[in-house]
Amino acid sequence: MSAREQILGKLRQARQPFTDVQPIQDRQPMIPMAGLSAADQLSRFISEAEALGCCVYQVSPNEAIEQIMDLLDGDKTVSSWDEAELPLPGLRGMLESLGVSVGAHQDGDTRLGITGVTAALAATGSLIVESGAGRYRSTSLLPDVHIALMRAEQILPDLESWEEAQRRAGYPAFTRSSNTTVISGPSKTADIAHQLVKGAHGPREVHVMILG
Amino acid sequence: MTVTVESNNFIALADVALHNEDLQHAVGEGTRAAYYKRLDTMFATSSEHGESMRQQAAEAKRRALRDLPDLLEKAERNLEKNGFQVEWALDAAEANQLLLDIARRHGVESVTKSKSMLSEELGTNHALEAAGLRVVETDLGEYIIQLANETPSHIVGPVMHKTKAEIRDVFVHELGMEPTDDAEEMVAFARRMLREDFLKADMGVSGGNFLIAETGSIGLVMNEGNGRMCTSLPRVHVALVGIEKLVDTVEDYATLTQVLPSSSTGQKLTVYTNIINGPRRDDEDEGPEHAYVILVDNGRSDIYATKYAEALACIRCGACQNACPVYRAMGGHAYGWVYGGPIGAVLTPLFVGLENATPLPHASSLCGSCKQVCPVDIDLPRMLLDLRWDLVQAGESKVGWDMAMKMWAIGMTSPTRFNLGGVAARTGQHIMGEYMPGVLGNWTKHRDFPDFAPKPFRQLWAARRHSRVKERKNERA
Repeated sequence: MSAREQILGKLRQARQPFTDVQPIQDRQPMIPMAGLSAADQLSRFISEAEALGCCVYQVSPNEAIEQIMDLLDGDKTVSSWDEAELPLPGLRGMLESLGVSVGAHQDGDTRLGITGVTAALAATGSLIVESGAGRYRSTSLLPDVHIALMRAEQILPDLESWEEAQRRAGYPAFTRSSNTTVISGPSKTADIAHQLVKGAHGPREVHVMILG
Repeated sequence: MTVTVESNNFIALADVALHNEDLQHAVGEGTRAAYYKRLDTMFATSSEHGESMRQQAAEAKRRALRDLPDLLEKAERNLEKNGFQVEWALDAAEANQLLLDIARRHGVESVTKSKSMLSEELGTNHALEAAGLRVVETDLGEYIIQLANETPSHIVGPVMHKTKAEIRDVFVHELGMEPTDDAEEMVAFARRMLREDFLKADMGVSGGNFLIAETGSIGLVMNEGNGRMCTSLPRVHVALVGIEKLVDTVEDYATLTQVLPSSSTGQKLTVYTNIINGPRRDDEDEGPEHAYVILVDNGRSDIYATKYAEALACIRCGACQNACPVYRAMGGHAYGWVYGGPIGAVLTPLFVGLENATPLPHASSLCGSCKQVCPVDIDLPRMLLDLRWDLVQAGESKVGWDMAMKMWAIGMTSPTRFNLGGVAARTGQHIMGEYMPGVLGNWTKHRDFPDFAPKPFRQLWAARRHSRVKERKNERA
């Protein structure tokens, strides 16, 4: 008999536990966000993301490009999602005109990574990134500095509302990406004497640019 | 490869910990900090809301356990739909063998591992190393533990028992780091060392905090990002998942993946909340080409059939460890196996056999904090008492101890008798002074037993309520 059959057989033979469990009537989200206007959600997103240690900018596309040039600080390679996946047309051309090589760059040495986001969550200041064609997992993971480009309309109240939207869209929506990550601030660790240190393995800086 | 069980040496191991001031300081500081952060986050909205989230999480896990065999089959179908290959393992030997078979099939030489308590149960590292593979733990705490050739002492903070200087010495001796007392420099050093391992590893091994049945997804939580590296960069990804990690729906997952870090480190979400749906897709040029899930039993289906099934609801947040006065004083190693603290005192006898862990059901003052902080409301004190009763039935316990515990159990279940117990304790302390008999004697050898309050809380509360009622009457008048 296979391990599978043995395990399932044992579980089925056992007296079923928790037959008296009462279903929750009034499911609640972890962080109540009901009734918040879009403007409230935007300001909540900004304050939560900043509290996590992100730098948040509300900028025009041109200002965003200027900010990115500042952060580039003379580097000649940038890791980036494909241009079609970013809400900032013209960025790649601008960088390449300066002799910067823009691409997936999964080498582990490139300092700057530029991504878009699938959605952002106000309650927790989080960014959701989904892997896919032109949306590389390593861009938000290997570089020291992660720049996330987004629009204010991408902000949802919380994790529950994001998942609700997926449920409305049906099963394939949940699993359309092989790897979905909800990012909440820079990588960190407190393993050494409980002292908080940023940049354990992932980015030590996260810059969120909300394009107006 | 079996993992050593030293739980019957509890008293001696506890004695060592209680003579180690550095350890006591480090564990005390770490557990207390986490304890207060949890309070801030879980009850940020209100105490009622925090409590209802706890009940929502408790219900999700119990419902999943109730329907476990059906959900396992559902999860298997949906995992396969996502492209995962699903394997089942009855015990540690089978699980490790499956891992080795996968490694051989894909010509794997080096493995990066993200934190998995299940792999500690299975002795996975030793099994892979014995077969000639290079295995690197990549969670910073686990990395230090692996270099120091120790075992984790806390579910979430594996190296909680070590001071900064001790960690520095590990890096200096094992890896030739330039000596520094700066935690940031140590982290940067480890980041550089591990970066090379991440990029060249052939296989990544992860655990799974949750397995979502309806979508066939693995939910992972982490702060450092090492788990993302292990599940994204190597050619092969294997997730070791205990069969009790099932949740039914995405809604259940949303509750649990937030309640877990809130209870654990006081974070609303961990830095990375990762949902993994199989290997890379055809249009991706990144991510593992092969993704496996090994569903591991290793004693869980035995526990499922007993009055201890509730222990399978545990989501490994470590809140009970942070809250436990016994754990706080000595850390996790004294418990002698993989899990320390109240959940360890329950799980260890269930996994390794009560006869191999007879002191553990007594390693608790039954203060009830563990149940109170548990995000899924596991009744740990009840199970500790039941385990003590099992010890008595098995003739493993002394008569005096047996009596004391029965009295205690009786006292706890009735308000009148609870009051009487308090009176007896106060009187008893007059007679005994600060030294406590029996197992508590080992405890009070190193510390004073706190005085019982001169007036019990129940009396103070009654008096206060009485005066409140009076005040309100006066207000109305």
